[in-house]
Amino acid sequence: MEQAAIECRGVARRFGTRTAVSDLDLTVPRGGVFGFLGPNGAGKTTTVRMLVGMLRPSAGTIRVLGHDPLTDGEWVRGHSGVMLDNVGLYDRLSAWQNLLFAARVAKLSASEGSQRMETVLRRVELWDRRFDRVSGFSKGMRQKLGLARALIAEPDLLILDEPTAGLDPANIVMVRELLVSLAGDSGHSIFLCTHLLAEAQRICDQVAIIQNGRILAVGDPNRLGGQGMPTVRLTLTGVNAEDLAHIAIPLHVELRRVEGRDWRAVVATDEDTEQLVAALVNAGVGVRAVIPEDVSLEEEYLRLVGGEDHA
Amino acid sequence: MHDLWTMMEKEFAELRGNRRFLWVFLFAVLAMGVLPSLTFAHHHGQLGAMGTIFLVLYVLFATVIVVANTAPDLVLHERVGHTLDYLLTTRLSDRAIFGAKVATAAIVGYMAAMLAIAVQLVAAAFLSGSGLHWLFLGQPGGRIIAFGVTAGLSLYVAVIGTFVALRVGEQRAAYMVTILSVGLLVVPFLAGWLHLSLTTVWIGHAAEWLGIIALGLGAIGLRLFRRDMLVLYLQE
Repeated sequence: MEQAAIECRGVARRFGTRTAVSDLDLTVPRGGVFGFLGPNGAGKTTTVRMLVGMLRPSAGTIRVLGHDPLTDGEWVRGHSGVMLDNVGLYDRLSAWQNLLFAARVAKLSASEGSQRMETVLRRVELWDRRFDRVSGFSKGMRQKLGLARALIAEPDLLILDEPTAGLDPANIVMVRELLVSLAGDSGHSIFLCTHLLAEAQRICDQVAIIQNGRILAVGDPNRLGGQGMPTVRLTLTGVNAEDLAHIAIPLHVELRRVEGRDWRAVVATDEDTEQLVAALVNAGVGVRAVIPEDVSLEEEYLRLVGGEDHA
Repeated sequence: MHDLWTMMEKEFAELRGNRRFLWVFLFAVLAMGVLPSLTFAHHHGQLGAMGTIFLVLYVLFATVIVVANTAPDLVLHERVGHTLDYLLTTRLSDRAIFGAKVATAAIVGYMAAMLAIAVQLVAAAFLSGSGLHWLFLGQPGGRIIAFGVTAGLSLYVAVIGTFVALRVGEQRAAYMVTILSVGLLVVPFLAGWLHLSLTTVWIGHAAEWLGIIALGLGAIGLRLFRRDMLVLYLQE
């Protein structure tokens, strides 16, 4: 069986009395884009740092491409392209010099390095600015150059922390297409930390949501709301959360408020939906609309990290 | 070695684009180059052997000024710009990353000293009509200080400056601690543990021991250094 790109088992990281990551279990399959979502301070950056051996976990084990980043750090880092949230470019050097350094670090030959540099610079549309000093670059240009640098050695695994931060919509589309093509055609594994939930839903094959150092949910971003089960959106009148709980619990249906009069029910089958609607009508609840839906990742994310009314 | 060279190439490319470094380097070379010649001319070339050899201190000053500025800056610039985080995500070893910084700072310090000597010779030729013979280079002890002690001192200050900057995140503080380390070299003499001598043999041993101490400190620094601990310092 092919090894996972990333495998974490019971990983924790404490800084004094503060726990940044706790009991992290994660399997990122090879190939495809894996989204790692969470609010600021959730533990994303700490996780990334542990993945590349920059930080030692307080507990648990990590395998990246089958290797331990602490004992095989050089191997792991040599086969991974990393772009951190602070891109970290050399301002006093040109874009070309920045990439040349990365190519030499990756031990690419002079000709191979030049060829790769041209390819990635053209890909991120910075070829015409290659001899400009990075100190004059906008935030978006820096992001693109950071991405180009992560790609220079064609690594097996790309670990990207907010690669689209600061980019305008056209460049976000460009980066999105680039990541999709890398994961699809080139077979790269991409571990993507992002705040852009719509973006994650569009390009990620799987996502994990982390908050306060704990994984709250893992799965297909389009099915995460129902954890793989279909959902229906109900518009109800004349009801409160307590009454609904009495109706929903015996039916084993989870109901939660989306906003105002709109509620979402996680149902296993169409029969469940029919039973629920019948029970609501019998209880005198006004059922104005019943719409089958896919829950957006954004809604599910907000529910998990922010909380909603549950019935 | 490939990684060390790669890092050093990058360091030198960055220094070429660093105006502050270029000014410090230029100041150290010109000031420490011209001042001893002016001193010598002021005394009409009558300083005597001891006086002449003390002129070599200007060369050591040039080294200390340049290295004490450069070594911490090579690390702190990377800390501030988050490029140190990037370096730690690459396959480069700790030895390559920090060894290159120490070597680069030591080399530019030594270059500053050699250029200061060249300026001294030119200035001396203009002021008194002769160069090599009336400066300290005419004496074996002077030559050992100029070429040997300078090398040991460059390495010593570069090692201290680099590792201090890894722990102390502020330029001025790192610079002060680095300069203090040069002052510490005087302590064994003040305490009477060592007696200063200007014989050629003594100066030769001093140069050797300075180099050995610098290499020893560098080895200890790398031995104690932990990549995963550095991230904690960077977070402070």
